[in-house]
Formats: sequence, C-alpha cells, structure tokens
Amino acid sequence: MDKRIWAIGGGKGGTGKSFVAASLGLHLASLDRQVLLVDADLGAPNLHTLLGIKASHPDLGDFLTNAVPSLEGAAVETPYRNLRIVKGSENILFIANLNHYRKLRFLRQLRQIEAPTVILDLGTGSSFNTLDFFLSANPGVVVATPEPTAIENTYLFLKSCIMRVLKLYMDHYKIRDLHQKMLDQIEKNSQSLYGFFKSLMESDRAYGTILYRALRGFRPCLVMNKTRDERDVLLGRSIADVARKYLLIDMKYLGAVPYDDNVLASLRDLKPFYVEHRDSAAARAIRQMSEELAYSIEFTLRTPPEIRLPDA
Amino acid sequence: MLKRIEDWNYYELLSVERTASPDEIWAAYQAALATYKDGSPALYGLVSEAERGLVHERVQEAFQTLRDPEKRKEYDLALLRHAPYFPPKAPFRKSVGKLEIEEAPPKKGFWARLKRLLFRNP
Repeated sequence: MDKRIWAIGGGKGGTGKSFVAASLGLHLASLDRQVLLVDADLGAPNLHTLLGIKASHPDLGDFLTNAVPSLEGAAVETPYRNLRIVKGSENILFIANLNHYRKLRFLRQLRQIEAPTVILDLGTGSSFNTLDFFLSANPGVVVATPEPTAIENTYLFLKSCIMRVLKLYMDHYKIRDLHQKMLDQIEKNSQSLYGFFKSLMESDRAYGTILYRALRGFRPCLVMNKTRDERDVLLGRSIADVARKYLLIDMKYLGAVPYDDNVLASLRDLKPFYVEHRDSAAARAIRQMSEELAYSIEFTLRTPPEIRLPDA
Repeated sequence: MLKRIEDWNYYELLSVERTASPDEIWAAYQAALATYKDGSPALYGLVSEAERGLVHERVQEAFQTLRDPEKRKEYDLALLRHAPYFPPKAPFRKSVGKLEIEEAPPKKGFWARLKRLLFRNP
C-alpha cells in the first residue's frame, strides 16, 4: 500500500484535532498497519497525553535542534502495537518560531520516514508553518465543531490555505505582483476569489489557468466533531457545499463524530478514548472515517498541489 | 468550473446530477434550504445576508422548476442547447501493466519482421 501522510488541522482550538488524530492512529494500528503519529502542534503539544503517555525525551524538539539526527530517531514506541509517536516539544518557546531551514528538513524527513501511514496533529491558527504542514499532506483533514466561532475560524483557515497555495505558485512562477492584487481583492466579499480569478483569466489566461488548477488541487476533508443531533451532522455537509461554491475548492465531508461525555472521562484517567470505548458511536464514526481515508480510491488518485517551498 | 453563484444552473445549485430522481431533488432541496436559511450557521463569517437571500430565492426557483416534470424537461432542453452534458464516470485506476505493453518497442525477431512486411497490422 502507498505511503500516506494525513494532517489533522483546523482554525480553532478545542475542536478535537488531537482526539481525532489519536483515534485514527489507534484504529489503523489495530488493523496491523504501521502508524506514526507526529505531534506537530508547535505551540501547545499534548497528543501524548491523549495516549496516556508522559512527556519525555526524545521529542520533536530534539530532532529540530539536531539533538537526534533524524525524525526516525525521535519516534518512540507506545503501549499500543504498531503505533509509534513523535512527541511534541516541551521547549515551545524556541520551537514555535521554526525557521525555514528547519521546516524544510522536517518536511523532507517526514516524506522519507519508514511508516506507511503518518498522521500529523497540527496546532491551531494560520501560521505559515501550520499551513505548510497541512498542505504537504494528502489529504488534510479540517476538524470543526458546530459552533459559529469554530465555523468562522474554519473558513478563515481554509482561506489562509488557499492564499498560501496561490502565493507559493506565484513565487514559483515569479508573478509576485499578483499577490498584492489577490490580497486587496480577497477581502472584498464572499465571491472575491471568483472575482480575482475572473479578472486574472481576462488579463492573463495562462497564469490564471495555472493558479486555478493549483487551487483545484487543494482538496481538504472536513470532520464535524462533537455533534449532538442530526442538524449538526447536516451542518458539516452544508459547510463543505458552501466551501465548494464560494471558496472554489473541492472539499469532501468525511462525516460527524457524535459528542461523548466519556472523552473527557478517558482524558482524566489518561487512557485513550478509542481503546476504552470501542463500541461507542464516536469510535464507530472514527472507524468509518479512517476506512474512507485509507481505502478510498478517490484519495489514491488525488494528487496534492505540487508545492515547492522557496529555498530562501 | 469557474462560475459565479448567479451563473450556477439549478442542478449545480442543489448539488445533484442532471439525472437525479425526484426523491434526490427533494433531499437536495431540503439540504440547500438548511444551508441558506435565515441565520444559517453554515454561512457564518463568509456570506453576507444580502447574498444569502439571493441564493435562497434561487434555490426555491430551482425546486419549483425541477419538481414539475414538464418544466424540468423544458429547462433540461434549454440547458442542453447551452452546454452538453457528460454523465460522471466512475474513477478507475490505469493499469500499469497494460501501459507497459502499449509502450513496448516492436519485436525485432525474423518472424516479426516478416509478419510486418506481409501484413500491414501484424
């Protein structure tokens, strides 16, 4: 089976990104697949806590500061078969401001590491580091909850991803003057992205086509977490539909994870929810999503946008 | 497909295929109503109230046309005149083996050369 890198991200904190990443990892590992979880939340890492593991060295910070030579060396075994983890760094003050060279080294090693499935748990927000990690995965999964604040931040995160993809392409094709034009236009209204492409197609069809194809290559997935009723489940479908129409991206709705009080109880006991409550509706939803992500032919045919980070 | 919301046809607006059954259209209409209703959380932070109102009106218009077989037929014909319709194909994986065979160089043996001389398409 091909190597897959999944990134679990989102615009707002507390939506359950680490929960989804840990549960997906535990499920795939239970299917005899070698899985590596990487806590790439550079600001507030806690994926290890969700697996009931204490913070210790080596961790991602040791790799980024060259204390261990490779990402493979920073990976440690977990109590669960087939599952390894690269823990987040405790030295967050230093690591949160990752420089360009370190980021490239991390992304390069991520692609080279020996594990068929790598799951990246990303931090909140739209920093360039987070966006680049999200865009280097296939697919990137956005986790949202059915609250206006989370939805607003989800759209903001998607817009930031779109602008990052377009900026990387503009830098690559040396059409940087378009970047300011895009920034000016994109803030205008909800259909500003359409307006930007329309005017670009009229003035320069070749570059317009390149950038539009790059945008269509960005195909994130959406997971609606902590849903309490059917309305919340349908809300996820609506968000994916609105993103397709207004942000011009091909977004797939993976499904909803129902709210479960036991998630908090498991966290207090320092035991993974997925292992403790295998038969719950939330665990069933995670299994379904995991299978969709792992075995869907749609994703094997998908190619992520060809992003070349500039060297300087 | 680079289109403004105003230019999306009724099927695109409801996110259904042109071959959708009345039940599928009804379900898509319900979903679209939930998405574009007044105060819908799905639009929060992205779509203004005025834009929402316009799309909501178009959704109603789309359903009124597509629910009536006569009106739908007329609309489909008008749509076909404007742009041809190609039903979606199932995704398939290209066979690497087959590609290799197609790209393989012609055989160089004596019988192969003789066959090529005698028959135009050996």
